[in-house]
Amino acid sequence: MSLNTIYKLAIVLTKSQLRATQRNKLVARLFGDPRSILVVDALLLLVLGTFGYVLLSMNWITGLGDMIRNIEPEGLAGIPTSIGFAVIVLGVLYEISQPVQSMSTDLVNWLPITSTEYVAGSVVSDAYLYSFMLSLFLGALLGPALYFGLSIVWVAAALMAVIALFTGSCVVEILDAVTNRISSSFYKRSGRSGIVFRLGLTIIILVFVQLIFSGQIAVYLIRSIVHTVQVAWYVPVVWPSVSVLSLSQGSVMNSMIFGALSIGFTFTLFQVAVNVRARYWVPVPVSVRLSTRTYLPSKSLVSIPGLGSVESALLRKDFHSILRRREMARFMAIPFVLAASIGLSLITGRATSDSLSLVSILPLYIIPVTIFAQMLAMTSIGSEGYAVWNLYAAPIRPSQLLRAKLIYAASLGIVFCIGIAILFSILVNSVFPRLYILMIVGIATVLEQSAIGITIGARFPDFRETVRSRYVSIWGSLLGLFVGLFIAFLTISPIFLSIRIYQQFLNQFTILSFGLGLITFLITWKIAERQVESLLRNIRT
Amino acid sequence: MKVLQVNGVTKSFGDVRALKGVSFSVEHAEVLGLLGPNGSGKSTLMKIIVGILKPDAGNIQVLTTDVGADPIRVKKIVGYVPESPRLYEFLTGTEYLDFVADVHELDADTKRQRISESLKALDLDGRENEMINGYSQGMKQKLAIIAGLLHRPQLLVLDEPLNSLDPRSARIVKELIHKLRDDGVPTIFSTHVLDIADAICDRVIIMANGTVLEAGTPNELRTKAGVSGSSLEDLFLKLTGGSDTRDVVEALSR
Repeated sequence: MSLNTIYKLAIVLTKSQLRATQRNKLVARLFGDPRSILVVDALLLLVLGTFGYVLLSMNWITGLGDMIRNIEPEGLAGIPTSIGFAVIVLGVLYEISQPVQSMSTDLVNWLPITSTEYVAGSVVSDAYLYSFMLSLFLGALLGPALYFGLSIVWVAAALMAVIALFTGSCVVEILDAVTNRISSSFYKRSGRSGIVFRLGLTIIILVFVQLIFSGQIAVYLIRSIVHTVQVAWYVPVVWPSVSVLSLSQGSVMNSMIFGALSIGFTFTLFQVAVNVRARYWVPVPVSVRLSTRTYLPSKSLVSIPGLGSVESALLRKDFHSILRRREMARFMAIPFVLAASIGLSLITGRATSDSLSLVSILPLYIIPVTIFAQMLAMTSIGSEGYAVWNLYAAPIRPSQLLRAKLIYAASLGIVFCIGIAILFSILVNSVFPRLYILMIVGIATVLEQSAIGITIGARFPDFRETVRSRYVSIWGSLLGLFVGLFIAFLTISPIFLSIRIYQQFLNQFTILSFGLGLITFLITWKIAERQVESLLRNIRT
Repeated sequence: MKVLQVNGVTKSFGDVRALKGVSFSVEHAEVLGLLGPNGSGKSTLMKIIVGILKPDAGNIQVLTTDVGADPIRVKKIVGYVPESPRLYEFLTGTEYLDFVADVHELDADTKRQRISESLKALDLDGRENEMINGYSQGMKQKLAIIAGLLHRPQLLVLDEPLNSLDPRSARIVKELIHKLRDDGVPTIFSTHVLDIADAICDRVIIMANGTVLEAGTPNELRTKAGVSGSSLEDLFLKLTGGSDTRDVVEALSR
C-alpha cells in the first residue's frame, strides 16, 4: 500500500467530483482545489466560532445563554452520529446521480491501484468533500463550548466526528460495491420488474432522506440520537456519540473505551469495504446471456387516437427511460418529497371548516402537481443526452416530437395529480366531498405545465451527460418554475374567488379554472411548437 | 444520375471555419470515400448532408430534394451512421431497432423480417434482448449500422463505419457496401484506414482544413500527385502535409 498513491488518488477523486458537479467556472475554480476547501473550512469554523462566542458574551438575547447551556452537551454528542449519517446519505445520492456510462471507467479497474489503496483514497476524498459539514456543525458549537468551558468536550466531539466521517465513508464504499453487484445480478434475474423495483426503492430512500433533513424532523432526530445513545450504547454507529456524551458527563474512562471502539469499528468497516470492492466491483457486468427467444416487434401504441407510429415509438422510449435510468430517480423524488412533507403537515394540522380546508389544501396540492408535470416535461428534451442525434437524424417532425413529449409528461402527471388528490382528501376528511375539484384543476394544471415545461426544455436544453446532469440549464429551470407557479396560481384563482365571495358558484368557478388552464395549454402549445422546431434545426452536441 | 449534389457548403462554429465552400457530387451506384486528417471537416459535412446541421451558405440536393427545404424527406431516404454512435443505453438492442423502425414507419412484418435478418447477419442474435449499456463498442457500432439500413435508404452516409468492428463484421460491412452499390445505392463513407478506401472506393475526396484538396479515383490521384505505384497512404500524407513522420516516431520512442 503506497501512501503517495492514496493521496494522489484522493486528490483526483475530490477534484473530479467537485468539477463534475460544479458548472459555474468561478465556483469551480474556487472549490476545484482541495487546498481551497480546507481554507474555506477553516474560515467557516473561525467565523462561526467567533460569532457564537461574541453573541453569548454580549448577552443580547435574554435567556439564550441558559437555553444553549442546556442543549450544548446534547448538540456536541449528536454531532458525530449526525455527520456519519449525513455522509452516508450524501454519498449514496452522489452514486445514484452518476450516469451509467461513467461507471465502467472507474480508475481502479484499469490502473495499477489495489483495492485497499482505492478505498483509502476514496475515504480521504470524502473527508475533503464533506469537511464543510464538520466546520458547520463544529463551528456552530465552538463559541458556546468556549463560553461554557466545554472546550475539552468540543475537541473530543471534533475527533469523534472525523472518525464518524470515515465510518460513513466506508459504509458508502461497501454499499457502492455491493449494490453494483446486486443491481447487475438483479437485472439478470428479475428483468424489468427488478429495475422498476430498484427505482421505486431509490425514490423511497430519497424521500426518506429529504424528510429527515427537514428542520422539524432534524431537531427530533438529534434528540432521538442522544436518547438512543443512552439506551442503545451497544450499537456501533453511535459509539462516537457515546464517547462524547460520556466525557460531558465526566466519565473519562468510558469516553476512552468508546472512542477506541469507534476507531476499531471504522477499521473493521474499512477492511470490509476493501474486501467487497475486490470481490464485487466489476467494470461492466458480465452478462453474456444468449437468448433463445424469437424476436417479436414491440406492441404499438398506435391504437390511441391521434398517435402515429413516430409518436408511439418516442413514447415507448421515454417510458423505458424513466423506468430504467437511475439518474431520473432524483428528479422523480422531488415532487414525492414535497407531497410527503405536505401530507405529514396535514396529518398534524387538520382544518375544520369545509371551505377553509379547500383554501388551505389547494395551494399545497397545486405546488407538487406543478413541479412534477413541469419537471418531467422540462427534462424530457435534455435527458436525450448525447443520443439526441438519433432524433436529429430520424424523419421526425417537430409537431410529432412535441406531441410525444406532451403525452409522456401529461399522462404521468395526471396519474400523479389524481393520486395526490385522493391522498390529501383522505388525510383531510373535510376535503373529500371536494375531491372532484382537486382532480379537475389538477388535470388542467398538468396540461398547462407540461406545455410550459417543454417550451422551457426545448429553449434551454442541457444535453451534457455528467454526474448530476441537469437536462435543462439552471436559468431555464428557474424561469420555468417561476412562470409555472405563477400561471398555476392564476389558474386556480377563480376557485379562491368563489370560496371567498361566491361560495354558491363553486362548481361554475371550477369550470372557469379548468377553461383557463386549457387556454393556457393551447397558447403554450403553439409557443412550444416554435421552440421545438428551432431546436431541431441544428444539432447542439 | 446524380444522387447527391453538394454546392459551395460553408459552415463555421464561432471563429472556427469547419467547411469553406465544399462542392462535389455522388453518382448513382458509386462508393465515395471521404479522407482527411482529424478536424478536416468530414463529420461536419456528413451531418450537413443528412440534415442534422444547417450550412451557413451553399446547398445540398439528395435526388430531387433540397436538404434545407425538406430535411424530413431527406432523412427518410438517407441512412446515416455517425462516428462512435451514442445509442439509447437504457433500451435493449431490439427495442432500439424497433424504435428506429417505427420512426421510419415500417410495418410490423417488414420490421420483424429486417431486424431478425440483420441481427443474425451481424452476429447480434442471442444478445438482442440485453440492454445496450452492456454492449461492447463494436456491438453498438453494428447496431447503429443495422439501424441505418433498416429503412433501405437510397443514399448511405457512414462516418468511420468500421471503427471497433471485428474482422468478420468489417468484411460484412464492406461486402454490404458493394452489394448496395450493385443495387444502385451509393455510399459516402469516411475512414482513416486508407487500405480499405483504396480497396472499396470508386472515388475518393481528400479534405483538409474544411476544403477539398483533391478528388478522383485512387489511381487518378496517384498519377496526378506523381506517386503512381505507391500506396494511397503515401498519397494522402503527401497531400495533407504529414509525410515526414520520422521525427515524431523518434520523439515518441525516446
